[in-house]
Amino acid sequence: MNGLIIALAQTSSQGQSGAALAFSYIFYIFFIALLALSFFPGVQQKTQIMFLSRDVEQKLQMIEGYLKDSRGLTEKLLKEKGFADPKAFVERIIDRFVIDPVSVEPTDIINRMKLLMRSNEDTVREMITAVNPNIDPMTRSQIEISTEVVNALNLIYKVIRHYLIMAKKLNSIMIMYQLQMVAPIYVKYAEAYAKAQKVFLQGIPIGDGLGPLVASRFLMKADQKFTVSKDTIAGSIEFEGRKVVVVKAEGPMATVGTPGEGVQNVIEREGGRVSRIITVDAALKLEGEETGSVAEGMGVAMGDPGPEKIAIERVAVKYGIPIDAVIVKMSMEEAITEMRKEVYQAADKAIEYVKRIILERTKPGSTVVVVGVGNTAGIAQ
Amino acid sequence: MAISVDSKQNLKVKTLIKCMQCDYTQERDFQVGDFVLKLVGNCPKDNGPLYIAGIYAEAVTSKK
Repeated sequence: MNGLIIALAQTSSQGQSGAALAFSYIFYIFFIALLALSFFPGVQQKTQIMFLSRDVEQKLQMIEGYLKDSRGLTEKLLKEKGFADPKAFVERIIDRFVIDPVSVEPTDIINRMKLLMRSNEDTVREMITAVNPNIDPMTRSQIEISTEVVNALNLIYKVIRHYLIMAKKLNSIMIMYQLQMVAPIYVKYAEAYAKAQKVFLQGIPIGDGLGPLVASRFLMKADQKFTVSKDTIAGSIEFEGRKVVVVKAEGPMATVGTPGEGVQNVIEREGGRVSRIITVDAALKLEGEETGSVAEGMGVAMGDPGPEKIAIERVAVKYGIPIDAVIVKMSMEEAITEMRKEVYQAADKAIEYVKRIILERTKPGSTVVVVGVGNTAGIAQ
Repeated sequence: MAISVDSKQNLKVKTLIKCMQCDYTQERDFQVGDFVLKLVGNCPKDNGPLYIAGIYAEAVTSKK
């Protein structure tokens, strides 16, 4: 090390003034000291943590920005709709949670989950109508969606902040690395949620509305439509000698309805004499797949946590009815923001798939149930 | 193979109106209050009822 310093000093001393020489010495000594310091245990790690945490903090600020925007929009909407204290309402709703049912004893878990989810939805709805009893269903659904978005963004923000503080406190580079890896994904989710709220507030159909859009095309021809379960509507049409009962969430409010219970009620009403159940839904594409590409398969196409999906599976098993699935692919952002033209155009292709399944797999005189699964914001029937 | 990963797009929301009786179609900018299957007047060709067949977002290509 000493030899290196002398050699550097000799090289730099040739043809230089005293001040410049002193500066060169200081520079070399500083550089070598820095290099030596970086080999001390812990220093490198601390430096890495510093840079990583700066990156995560930046992402956290972006998420906080989306949360503030969303909160502001919700408060503005509440104020416009006659809420005396919008801030207090948002404060009450922002940290709302639903505790998962006990899963170590799985018996009847679906009914318990259904009860908790429905009770939560009903409670939020009652909280809104208690303040404004004359609120129209469209505005009420917009407030419900807005509160859900604020709630989700708040959760993302708090969880990322929690791990950031914890990584700093524990001086854990491994937690910080993991956080730095996932933070950009959550920024994207937060951005999508924030965009989605603006879209819902304008009443624009979202990508997830593909299922209800397909159902609405069939229901256009139905003479009578009837409510089959909470926020869910059905109607029957005749297609090539078959009776087709079409189920969708009741639009144009922003709701996914209760399609599982709806299908169950329709099939029970038909006495179980149904040849086929066809579910149509938006599905998340893998990166590289084209938005609007259509695929078919078996099973219930539904992004539900459990209760609605299992209701269809149970009634299908009870009466031995095969379940077909038609899906249209899109990204998560495309699913919860404005419906893209490619998705809209894919509705025609999905309808052709449904018609082909009916013609190929059922006989004239039979009954088929078609379910358009998804959020029906901006799509009536 | 070149793979594009650019996901930022400027979108413009359009409303597609169709006639229930003929092939008349009209595309206009989305207006708040529009929803799919809403009746929006009569067809200029055959006076049939016009309805909103679709609302979708299109990517806007910026002119340089």
